[in-house]
Amino acid sequence: MEYILKEPERQISTKIIKIWRTTNTIGHGSFLLVFGALLAASHYWDWYNWVNITLYILIGITVLSAIFSIFFEPVFIQRTWRYDVDENFIQLKHGRWNVEHTIIPMAKIEYVTTDQGPFLRKAGLYSLKIGTTASNHTIPAIPEEEALALRAQIASYANVKEDDSLG
Amino acid sequence: MDKTKNAKRYHPAYLLVELFGFLRNSFFFILFLFILNYDVTEGWVYWAKYVFLVAAAFTIGKIFLSWWLNTYEITPASITLREGVFVKKVRTIAFDRVQNKKTATTFIHNWFGLTSLTLETGTASEDASVRFPVLKRQEADEIVRVIESGTSNVLLTAVSEDKEEMEIETTAPVKTERREYFRSTKKDTLRAAFTSLSFLAIFPILLALYFQIDDFFSIEDEAENAVFFFVDHLWLLAPLFIAAILISSVIGYVQTTIRYGNYRIEADSDRIYISRGVGQVHTFTIKRNKVQAIQIEQPLLKRVWGIVEIKLISAEALSVGEGPATNSLYPFMKTKDAYRLLNELLPQYTVQDQLQRLPRNTIWLKVLRPYYFTAIALVALWIFQPGILWVAGIVFLLSLGSRLFEYFFTRYAIEGDSIQIRTGGFTTTTFITRRERIQEIKVSQSRLQRAFGVGSLGFTNRAKPIHVSSIQDVPDGLRHDFKHWFVQRKVKFE
Repeated sequence: MEYILKEPERQISTKIIKIWRTTNTIGHGSFLLVFGALLAASHYWDWYNWVNITLYILIGITVLSAIFSIFFEPVFIQRTWRYDVDENFIQLKHGRWNVEHTIIPMAKIEYVTTDQGPFLRKAGLYSLKIGTTASNHTIPAIPEEEALALRAQIASYANVKEDDSLG
Repeated sequence: MDKTKNAKRYHPAYLLVELFGFLRNSFFFILFLFILNYDVTEGWVYWAKYVFLVAAAFTIGKIFLSWWLNTYEITPASITLREGVFVKKVRTIAFDRVQNKKTATTFIHNWFGLTSLTLETGTASEDASVRFPVLKRQEADEIVRVIESGTSNVLLTAVSEDKEEMEIETTAPVKTERREYFRSTKKDTLRAAFTSLSFLAIFPILLALYFQIDDFFSIEDEAENAVFFFVDHLWLLAPLFIAAILISSVIGYVQTTIRYGNYRIEADSDRIYISRGVGQVHTFTIKRNKVQAIQIEQPLLKRVWGIVEIKLISAEALSVGEGPATNSLYPFMKTKDAYRLLNELLPQYTVQDQLQRLPRNTIWLKVLRPYYFTAIALVALWIFQPGILWVAGIVFLLSLGSRLFEYFFTRYAIEGDSIQIRTGGFTTTTFITRRERIQEIKVSQSRLQRAFGVGSLGFTNRAKPIHVSSIQDVPDGLRHDFKHWFVQRKVKFE
């Protein structure tokens, strides 16, 4: 019998958009502060001119990146994120311009954890981390009940031991 | 855990091996500080000398203390190591956890009839491997035999307390006899010396020598005269050049012999045994069913010569320690011989010859992709070295060439349980693995790729470090087929 892979359909919470906007603002803001401080220092102590040029370029890039990742990116990521779990595979798919689709066999999964930072806690969300021998993946922003149920489900599915030495 | 009476100190040659290792590792420091700058008594060089002496005293003291304090103890099922001068550490390794074995025998080992042995377990921690810096040959053989015969049916008796060797009786499981599959000949070594371009090694040495002598005699001025002299007597230059090439060829040949001479590949039903080197013998053992994938590397030059290097990828670290990794089947084998050998050793990883090329329109895609590296080079040169801006042009031509090569040489095939991809521009890498060895897959498609109706495939294999393979710009259909192929791995229905 052939196994038919269904396209993943489950979505992540829309509340994550606001959270990403906040965290990206903080992140980019602190970069701008650091660059600004360096620029001030450079002018004050008269560092090399190329330091100034580099800093201006970096500040420019940071501002552009900030506009993108505060106003546009969170919406795109949330809208395009899909995941699904069945007894054989976990699927993760995301991205608008660069679509990435990852398929992880249950038998290769080593651990699954739920994480919650201060912002996620306020919104009542969890992120789910899945680790294999090769890598780890995160599904961001799943509502609390769903996340805990999913963790238990993956843990029970993944309990299947596979003999790696065959073949 | 207390030391028992069976705990042993290493053979005193430990001191010699470690001291020699220290000397070799600090060769350049010694050369720089005490030979090239032997008369400098001020500035940082002077201080560096003191720092080096203190560090050397510390290291040498530590070597002696380690020899005094480190012990090992072999029991029927495990090895216990006690080590550490300042921080004590006791490690016990069960034999059934050992996956790979490697030995390295330097000429110092040879004098005393010793060898060094490294046992590798499959875990990822820093304690994953156990290294015995010196061991008696018989002892190393015994350990290896105990591990290979499986611990369950081993009857081990320490014959008498004062006798150092142990006698081991085993009822080894039925195993096919160990057979030799490949032994390198003089011709192979010659080819290896030639393709590895080791005959060019003399030029840097000559150059270094020249600058050294120059410091003493200031040849520069004389050299100018010498240049004029040679220009006038060009016929003199030819024999000099030939002599230099000859000398370096001999040196290259000797070097290659030490490294790759007497290369042997043997196998029985369980394991593959690889040993190489003259004077310094390295051996490597891997279980056949632990091979995760096959990787075939071909730099441009080897491609021209029709030579390949086949590497066996396994989940354990293979290239710990010095020198090139031994996890390759002979690195200078004729393509046809290599594939035949691979077929005999690991029939589950056959190299397929029915391979697909990339769609023709992707050549434009490859050429059109942004040239980030060239752009960075251009900006950097413009700011720092505007005088040599033309270098960016060379960078551009190289990346363009690499992309064209990549289009022409990329191949792929998915057949039955195995997948084979070949990627790379100047150096191509063929990667062959099986569905159940793949840890996870990732398919992706960028906006530009979508416009061309193509995408990328990626898959991950266990190795150290984790091996991620990917192939770009394969047709959309294959992307779908690949996913479908992968999910037909062992799945369960309820």
